Parts: sequence; C-alpha cells; structure tokens
Amino acid sequence: MADITLGSRADEVPMAGMLADMLKANLEKPAKMKIFNSLKTTVYLYAEDADAGMTMDFDKGKLVVYGGKEGKPKLEIATDAATLLELANLKIKMGMPYYFDATGRGVLKKLMKRQLKIKGMFGHPIALTKVTKVMSIN
Amino acid sequence: MALAYGTDEWLQEYNKLVEEGLSTGQPFIIGLPEWVSTYEKLVQADEPYKAAAKTWEGSVVLHILAKPDIGIDRDIYIFMDLWHGDANYFRLVPPEVGEAGAFVITGEYERWKQVINKELETTKGLMQGKLKLKGDLPTIVRAVKAAVRLVELSGMIDTAFPDENPEAPQKIREVLAKAEQLGI
Repeated sequence: MADITLGSRADEVPMAGMLADMLKANLEKPAKMKIFNSLKTTVYLYAEDADAGMTMDFDKGKLVVYGGKEGKPKLEIATDAATLLELANLKIKMGMPYYFDATGRGVLKKLMKRQLKIKGMFGHPIALTKVTKVMSIN
Repeated sequence: MALAYGTDEWLQEYNKLVEEGLSTGQPFIIGLPEWVSTYEKLVQADEPYKAAAKTWEGSVVLHILAKPDIGIDRDIYIFMDLWHGDANYFRLVPPEVGEAGAFVITGEYERWKQVINKELETTKGLMQGKLKLKGDLPTIVRAVKAAVRLVELSGMIDTAFPDENPEAPQKIREVLAKAEQLGI
C-alpha cells in the first residue's frame, strides 16, 4: 500500500483529501506504484475557481499532501477545478500522456489559452510526465 | 408502519404522490416527487447525456440535508438508477436505501440551489467541501462529462425554491407527511 500521509492544513482543504484518496486508488496498479517509487518532486495544484490549493511532496515511494502551498514546489499547476480532474482523465499510451484524443486535445487547448498554467513544465519535464502518469486514472 | 421499499404497493403509493404533485403544475418545488419525476423524464430524453454516459454503471444519490425552517424537516434522498446511458428511474427513497447508493453526493439545501442555478459547479463544490462525495472518485472522474450533463439538466427544470416561496414550506411538510408511510 502506498505511503501517503496528510500534512499540515490538509484537513482544511477538502480537495487535498479527495485527490490523496484518488491517488491511493491509482497506486494499487503496480505500474503506477513503480513510477511513484521513483518520483521525487514537489507539485502545487491550485483550483482557481474553488480558491483551493494543495502541495504534493513526492519522495520516492512516499507522499505527503499539504493544504495550501508548502515550500517551493518545482511544478505549479493552476486551472479550474473541473480541468484539474480532466488532467486525471488523460490516457497514457506507450508510457506517455496521450494528447491526441478529445481529453488530450482539450488539455492542450487550455494550455494554449492559458486556462491551464503549468509552471516548471520546461524545467522539470520528466517529473511532470511522471506526475501525470501517477495521477492519471487510466 | 412504513411500506417496504421496492414492493408493488410501495411503488403504487409513490406513483400516487408523483401524480398528485404533477397535477399542481409547474414550477415544482426542488426535491419533491414531481420535481424528481420531471428530472427523470428530462434525463431519459437527453441524447447528449446518453452519449456521455455510455459506460456509466451505478446509482447516484443526491442527498439534500434537512432544513426545517423551509419545510425540509428531514434529509431527502433522490435516487437515480443509471446504467449505460439509460436513466431507469429517479425517485425519493428511504435514508437506508439512499445511503447505500454507489455514489452519494451530500449538500445543504443552499448548495443544491446554487448547483441548479449554475452558481456552483459540482467539481468546485466538491473541492471546496461544499458538497461531499461518497463513492469511488476515479469512477466519477472517468464519467465527468456525464456528471456535468446531469447537473446541467437539473437546471432546466422549472424549479420553485422554498426559501423564496412562503407557501412552499407548508407544501413540503404535507408531502413529507404523506411520504412517511413510504419510509421516505
């Protein structure tokens, strides 16, 4: 079972508990667990319309989820709540996030229109890919 | 003693409540049997919902928490039996049936009013904790388009809100009193 714990203020941000639960369910799949065990990065997710944010601190097989922004995350993803969940709907093909179906194209379109902002995507592309794979429910 | 849920007798009595309510004409008060029945018909006839929910399996329950000052003296559970794009039936159910639904979304009356009026997007409400989900989140995420369409359709019902209508609390109490024999 994945080592996921809730850190400070996580209990004040319902989104943190929701996404932590989703991640726990994802990590029941061995392929995702393998990626999780190799992932070391920090990600800040911010749902702009809900004004809710959370930080995920991945440390090679361990994850602490914080409410709000904690430390200096390497990746920062900001968009509306529905799009954050859409990101979890991205398909993974050949070990990579797949952007050529309706969900993938929708995500790309939002990136272009700046409705989805990802800070650190060029500086930490591998971490971003791994996070996407771990978060994807597919 | 309340009739046993799901029996023919139960269904007959429930349908009577629906017919009585429908005969009063729109707008219908949120959460009453006639409102639920109107919602059911809308979803059953909706092609975009059918297309988006092709793979959906499982019941969804909308749980409206009690708010006695507007006549909602006890919690209301709207059970939606949904399967592969079909809306088999929507109806009010006893609490134990509602709580056993595959997915239960719980919120205060004000939140549901906001959802119907498109002032609160469901996902946002869940992330803010204004609505609470019981059930497997990844399954909902996979069917997010169907869920969004379901919510959109609820906004198409000509709805009366009890906090805006001085006669509504009394009407709700009357219906809930009749529904008591159904365990609702």
